[in-house]
Amino acid sequence: MRERSGRRIAVALASVGATLVLWQALTATGVIPASRFASPREFWAALAQINGPGYADAKLWQHVLQSCKLVAEGFVVAAGVGVPLGLAMGWSRRFEAFFNPIFLLLRPIPPLAWIPLAIVWLGLGDAAKVMVIFVAAFVPSVINSYTGVRSIEPYLVEAARMLGVRRTAFVAEVMVPAALPHIFTGLRLSLQAAWTTLVAGELVGALRGLGQVLNAAAQDIYPAMILVGMVFVGLCGGAMTWMLWLAEKRAMPWRAA
Amino acid sequence: MSMDRAALTRAESWGLSFAGLAALLVGWTAVASSGLVPPQFLPTPLAVAERFVELTQKPFAGYTIQQHLVSSVGRYLMGFGLAALVGVPLGLAMGWFRWLDEVVSPLFEAVRFVAPIAWVPFAALWFGTGIGGPTLIIFMGAFPPALVNAYRGARFVEPRFIEAAQTLGAGSWRVITQVLLPASVPSIVAGLRISAGLGWQSLVGAELIVASSGIGYLLVKGQAGISTSTVMSGMIAIGIVGFAIDAMLRRVEAAIHARRGR
Amino acid sequence: MSEIVFSGVRRMFRRNGEDVPALDGIDLTVSEREFVAIVGPSGCGKTTCLRMVAGLEFPSAGEVRVGGAAVRAPGPDRAVVFQQFALFPWKTVAENIEFGLKSKGVANGARHETISRFVELMGLQGYENAFPHQLSGGMQQRVAIARAYALDPAVLLMDEPFGALDAQTRTVMQEELVKLARRNPRTVLFITHAVEEAVYLADRVVVMTRRPGRIREIIDVGAIRRAEDWDRFERIEEVMDQASFVHLRTHIWKLLREQQQPNEH
Repeated sequence: MRERSGRRIAVALASVGATLVLWQALTATGVIPASRFASPREFWAALAQINGPGYADAKLWQHVLQSCKLVAEGFVVAAGVGVPLGLAMGWSRRFEAFFNPIFLLLRPIPPLAWIPLAIVWLGLGDAAKVMVIFVAAFVPSVINSYTGVRSIEPYLVEAARMLGVRRTAFVAEVMVPAALPHIFTGLRLSLQAAWTTLVAGELVGALRGLGQVLNAAAQDIYPAMILVGMVFVGLCGGAMTWMLWLAEKRAMPWRAA
Repeated sequence: MSMDRAALTRAESWGLSFAGLAALLVGWTAVASSGLVPPQFLPTPLAVAERFVELTQKPFAGYTIQQHLVSSVGRYLMGFGLAALVGVPLGLAMGWFRWLDEVVSPLFEAVRFVAPIAWVPFAALWFGTGIGGPTLIIFMGAFPPALVNAYRGARFVEPRFIEAAQTLGAGSWRVITQVLLPASVPSIVAGLRISAGLGWQSLVGAELIVASSGIGYLLVKGQAGISTSTVMSGMIAIGIVGFAIDAMLRRVEAAIHARRGR
Repeated sequence: MSEIVFSGVRRMFRRNGEDVPALDGIDLTVSEREFVAIVGPSGCGKTTCLRMVAGLEFPSAGEVRVGGAAVRAPGPDRAVVFQQFALFPWKTVAENIEFGLKSKGVANGARHETISRFVELMGLQGYENAFPHQLSGGMQQRVAIARAYALDPAVLLMDEPFGALDAQTRTVMQEELVKLARRNPRTVLFITHAVEEAVYLADRVVVMTRRPGRIREIIDVGAIRRAEDWDRFERIEEVMDQASFVHLRTHIWKLLREQQQPNEH
């Protein structure tokens, strides 16, 4: 097995390496014109620029911080409202019947479609972005938390009733832990939606943030900087997903590895 | 204690659902009519419905709402079609041929984390506001699920199916076409359904930024003119089409499962 | 205080818009501290009988009483051991056993003492802090039995508790349950498919007909066990080798065979 995975890593590195070499070759020889795409060297130069003197009125870390801050705000509120609502809908058929139609109506509308509405209501600032991020992150949290409660094996509920578990203890010690795997799936989807929506919102209009970097670079026809922006969109998205994964591992120590 | 999961009577269920919907509409109308907010910012539900109908008759931002939709759906089908045509065969191939998986996977994983919308600047740079731009972004959104699900379908075929075929004397080509391919179909279809949804979302995002027609463009123009009723009409149209696409693919999935007796 | 009485119990369920009888008039009394096993073909309603004592289901007609009072809801006085173990995966072994005690309001110190006692009794030493997924099926069911016994229930309800275990583990568990039941007697209702298991464990075996379920015959196994002194044997295979055992088992098998129709699923 060890040998296998060592081989995999070698192939992976070779593949990535070959792509980089190919990239360099294509850009250096002009097969890919400089106006369309950047060479590896130009990429590094742009990275140095945004890191040091800065680009689009701020340095890299400031853009990253701004983007991540908004995502965090929208995501936390969405999850904070969405998860309990989903759990409540799973618990009570009445709750479910009442709120279901509202969700059925909201669900097909893609989160990004809320951006123009948010801009009309709240302008081009941070508030509009947080609103859209909230809407984007809200629905997956609710739906997956609901599913989490609905998928609890009936015999676990029966065992709890047989043991004489009271309502608060049931919710805290049975329902929520049982639903946690689904809740985390919901959180993961919410985070993904939040991040995508944030980038889109910043592309439409912002003073600062990774989306704004992309926007400015597109207007300046600066492919190398576009590339830098994209790379960091990927890295930040990946980093947040990884943090959520860590949280999931800590929250559910009983899961088989 | 018990979870409140007792089945509701039909009357209760419909009653509560109606009540929920009514609460939403009534609340909305109340706030809209109260004068707290100017009508352009929050029209009543009725006003939105009226505007929607109006948009089917009078062009806005160049076309009627149906024409915008047709334009959008056209781009969408191009992007989605391309994603399916490239993603499914590639995914299957990666599932069957380990070496291909090992070579392509690292590249795919590296690019995967970049939200499709982040491709907009390059789309604008390479294609302007032509059809290529949105197609690229839809492709970037729809491609990963198509690929991943086709891959899973191919990779995780029950070994005993393959063994059964081989013991019956089937050669490699027949094993692929008669066993592996049919076995992967449910996964492929599930992947395409997710793909279709993400593709539609990506389309909307793309049209907000790099289009000169289409339903997303209509939203932007509505926003620029501070016409909330136009924006909401656009949102409803987007929702309806998205829902229809998903419903159609669910039907296909169900039909496939029914044929297989699941 | 812990006598179970079924009086004229009927249970209907709806199929294709029609009311189909699942149980058709059950009259049965399980005396205090008696171990009664119910065997019968699939779908005969034996599990339904247990669930009605547990308070998880209710009769369409007739009554189920425990200790004189009608059954209205589940509770720790009628502890259930499920076929699927039903342990909470996010709780350790100790926490699982503790859960019912906490709900009962038992004080901290008394809880720990009880947990230790049952951990030892069921051979779970060293596994107190393990999670269920780390344990084998047999171990998990031991925890489930410990959890039930720790409640000091008047009635113990066991729904095919060894059904999900492999044959060897099953045999070991049967031996252990016999020892436990002799040492810690209480009213037990035990549902099983396995005739040998019923004859080995029970004082009386109730044989049911196929749907609609009725009682076909009740066999007093305990009388024969005492007469033939099966308890002198340590091992289950020695008991099962006895002519008296084989005779009983075959008799019950024949009763069950009568119930089978040709081409039955």
